[in-house]
Amino acid sequence: MKKPPVKSINTVAKRLVGRSELVLQRKNIRESLVSVAGLIGRPVKYQGGNEIGRLVDVVVRHGEDSYPPVSGLIVKVGQSKSFIDGARIAKLTQSEIQLSSARVDLTEFVRREGESLLDADVLDHQIVDVNGLRVVRSSDLYLAPLDREIRVVGVDISFKAFIRRIFPGALGRGPIPEHVIDWANVASLAHGTGVVRSTESRAALGQLRPADLADLIEDLAGREQSALIEMLDPDLAADALEEMEDDELQGLLRGLPAQRSAELISRMEPDEGAEVLRDLGDDHRESIFLEMDSSVARQLRKLVEFDETLAGGIMTSHILITHEEDTVGFALKLLVENRSRDISDGVVVVDAKGKLLDHIQIIELVAAKPGDLLSTLMGPPYPTSVDINTRLDAVIDEFANNRGSSIIVVDEKNKPVGRILADDLVDALASTSDVQGFAQGSGAL
Amino acid sequence: MATRQSISPKKIRIAALLAVMGPGMIAGLSDDDPAGITTYSVLGADYGYQLLWVLVASTFALIVLHDLGARIGVVTRQGMIGLIRQKYGARSGTLSATALILANVGTMTAEFAGIAAAGQLFGFSKYVTVPVAAFSVSFLVLRNSFARVEKVFFLISAGFIAYIIAGFMAGPDWGAAAKGMLIPTIPFTQDAIFIATATIGTTLAPWGLAFIQSYAVDKRLTKDDLKLLRVDVWTGSLLTGIIGFFVVVTCAATLHKEGIQINDAADAAKALEPLAGTMAKELFAIGLIGAALLAASILPLSTAYSVSDLTGRPAALDDSPKEAPLFYLTFGLITGVSAVLILIPGAPLITILVVTQVLNAILLLPLLIYMYGISKDERLMGEFVATRTMKVIYSIIITVVAVAIACMLWFTIN
Repeated sequence: MKKPPVKSINTVAKRLVGRSELVLQRKNIRESLVSVAGLIGRPVKYQGGNEIGRLVDVVVRHGEDSYPPVSGLIVKVGQSKSFIDGARIAKLTQSEIQLSSARVDLTEFVRREGESLLDADVLDHQIVDVNGLRVVRSSDLYLAPLDREIRVVGVDISFKAFIRRIFPGALGRGPIPEHVIDWANVASLAHGTGVVRSTESRAALGQLRPADLADLIEDLAGREQSALIEMLDPDLAADALEEMEDDELQGLLRGLPAQRSAELISRMEPDEGAEVLRDLGDDHRESIFLEMDSSVARQLRKLVEFDETLAGGIMTSHILITHEEDTVGFALKLLVENRSRDISDGVVVVDAKGKLLDHIQIIELVAAKPGDLLSTLMGPPYPTSVDINTRLDAVIDEFANNRGSSIIVVDEKNKPVGRILADDLVDALASTSDVQGFAQGSGAL
Repeated sequence: MATRQSISPKKIRIAALLAVMGPGMIAGLSDDDPAGITTYSVLGADYGYQLLWVLVASTFALIVLHDLGARIGVVTRQGMIGLIRQKYGARSGTLSATALILANVGTMTAEFAGIAAAGQLFGFSKYVTVPVAAFSVSFLVLRNSFARVEKVFFLISAGFIAYIIAGFMAGPDWGAAAKGMLIPTIPFTQDAIFIATATIGTTLAPWGLAFIQSYAVDKRLTKDDLKLLRVDVWTGSLLTGIIGFFVVVTCAATLHKEGIQINDAADAAKALEPLAGTMAKELFAIGLIGAALLAASILPLSTAYSVSDLTGRPAALDDSPKEAPLFYLTFGLITGVSAVLILIPGAPLITILVVTQVLNAILLLPLLIYMYGISKDERLMGEFVATRTMKVIYSIIITVVAVAIACMLWFTIN
C-alpha cells in the first residue's frame, strides 16, 4: 500500500494551524465540553423540572459553519420518538437537558436536507482525520456553546474514550480533553441527507496530494466514499481519480450518479478518462456520455473506440495545434492559456491541409522574438510520429529509438490527433503486464 | 484486443478468478481445524455413514453465511466488529469483540493441541512442535506481504489432500455414503444429537465469519469482484464439506465397521494403522498438522483484524508493525498466550476446550443476528441489500443454528 511521506502530513498540519484559530484552544470551550455519547439517554426536562422523556439523538445542521450547530433533539416520549427544536434548549449539561418553556409542541421527526443525526450517523462511524491522512472511527463527539448556539466542536478518536463509554453512569460520560480533536480537523462522512464537514477540513483536503487522496478514497466504501468525493473540488477529485487503481475507480463510478461521473471524467486527462470509460459497461458508459458536454463526449467517444493496445488507445488527445504562418507570440499565448492541462512543453505545427510539419519546444519559442513566424523555427530534428493504429510494442520501439519524452500520433492523412507521453506508455505497460502476471500465476498455483 | 492474442479470453477469466480467490477458500478450509477433524472422526466412527446429511446441511449453511460475510466486507469495506460497533453501538461491539477474543484464545489453544497430538504421532515432543509452529505462523504473517501470506495459506491447505487419499484407501461403501448424505435419519440418543450439533458448531465458527469479512476488506476486493468471489466462496465451502466427508467415510469404513471408539483425531489416526496401514495413519496425521497450521495462522489474524476494527485502527497485512502496532500486537499476544497455555504442565486443558466450545456457540447466535441485520440495512448494503428470498434463508439457518446451540449447551452443561 502506498503510504504518504511524513513530510506532506506535517506540512498540511502546519498550514491548518496557521490558517484558523481552532476553538478547542479556547479555555472556556475546553471546560464546557459535553460528550454526545454520554448525553444520549439522559433526561430532557421542561422548565421547572418535569421530565419529558429521554434523549435519543442530537440533530445538527451543516452548512458553511465550521462548527455545525444543534438544530434539534430527538426525544423518546413514552413509546414514540419526538422532535424538539434546538431553539428551545435553555441549558445543556452532561447530566440533563433543560428546555426554556414549560410546554413544547412535540412533532414527529423527519430527516431534513442538510441535517445529520450525531448518534445514528456520526458516532462510531468512519471519519477522515485530515491531519493524520487516515480513516478513523469517532469514539465520541463534543458539544459546546459557541456564537450563541450549541455546536459540535470536537471529536475524540481515542480508544480510551471508546472504552469509557462502556461503563455505566457518570463514569462513562466525562470527556478527556487532551484526546479531543478540533472538529475543524476532521472530515466526517456522515450518512444521512448530506455531509457534515467544516470549511477548514474541506480546505485542508484541498491541500492533499492527489495520490494521498486516492488512498483515502480507496479506504472507504459506498456512501462514505461518495461523500468524500462530493466534498472535494471537482478538479482535485478528478486528479485523485486518475491516481486510483482501475477496479477501485470503476467501483466508485458505479456508486456515483451519472451526472457527477460525467463531470469528473470530463475533468480527467482525456486518455485516462477514456480508459475508465472503456472498462465500464456499455449502458453505464452511454448514461455518462449523455450527461457530458457534447464536444467532450465526442472527443472521449473517439478515444474509447480505440483499442487500448494501439497508439490511438493510449494517446492523450490534448495537443496544441498551430500553423506555420502563426507567430511565436500566438503560440506562447496558447501555451499559457492551456497551462493547467499539463501538456505545455511545446506546440505542434501543421501546414494548410492540417498535415504534421514539426513540434516546437517551449524553450525555442521563448528564445525567439514574439513576432517571428513559426515557420522560421522549423527544422531538424523533426518529431517522431506514429500512425494511430500502431501497436503498443512498435510504439515502445519508437520511444526507445528516439529517447524523446513524447511521440506525436497522426491519422492516416498524417494529421496530428494526439500525443503519447512516457507516462501513458508506463500506464499501458502496467495494465498489460497485470494480465500476463495473472496468467503466469495460474501456473504456479 | 489485437495484441492480446497470445492470451486467450478463457485464460484471462481464470487469471481474474485466481486473483480474487482466497477469502472463501481460506476461511472455509480453516474451519476444518483439528476440532473439526475430531468431530468428523467421531461422527464417522460412532455412527458410520448415517449422519453424513448433517455435514451436507452445515456445508450449505457455510456457503450461505460465508457468501454473506464476504459480500458485507466488499460492499462496506469494514470488518464485522467495526460494523457492529457502528450499527449496534459501543457496548455491543466491545462485548462481541471480547467474547471473540476469549473464544479465539481457547480455539487457538485447541489448534496447538492438534499440532502437539499430530507431532507426537511422528515422535516429536510438544515442547518442540508447538513453539516451532507458533514462531512459524508469527514469522509468516509479520514478515511477509499480503500476496505471499496468501500463497502460503494455499500451500498449507494442500495438506488436506491427505484426507481425500486416506478416504479412498479406506475403501468406503459409496452407496451407503450417498444414502447417508441424502436421507436424514438420526438415532434419538443424547450422544447422536450432541455430535450432530457439534458438527454444525465446528463448521460455522465465529472467527471464520469475522475472518472472511475482514480478509475480503484487506484483499481490497471491489464490487466488481463479487461474482468471482462467489465462485471462491462456493469452492472453498464445498471443499470444506468434501474434506469433512472423506474424514467421516474413512472412519466409517474402518473404525465404525470394527466397532472402535475414539476420542479425538489423533486417536483416529492411531486406530487407523492396523486397519488401513501405516500410510493411512501418516496421511491422517499430515492432514491434521496442515489443518492445525492453517487454523493457527487464521485465528490470531482474525482476532487482530477484529480488535483493530473495533478500535478503528489500521489493520492490513501490508502495513508494517510500526504502522499498525495494535494489529501485530494482538496477533502476537493470541499466539503467545495460547502456546504457553498448551505447554504449561497441568494447565486445565479440558476445561479450556469445553469453555471455548460453549463460548463459540453462545457467540455465534448474536453474530448471525447482527449479520442478518447488516444484510438488510440498505444504508450499508446499497444495491446489495438482502432480497426477500435470502432473508428467508438466513432466518431458517439462524433458527436451526439456535436450536442446535440450545441442544449443545444443554448437553454440555448436563
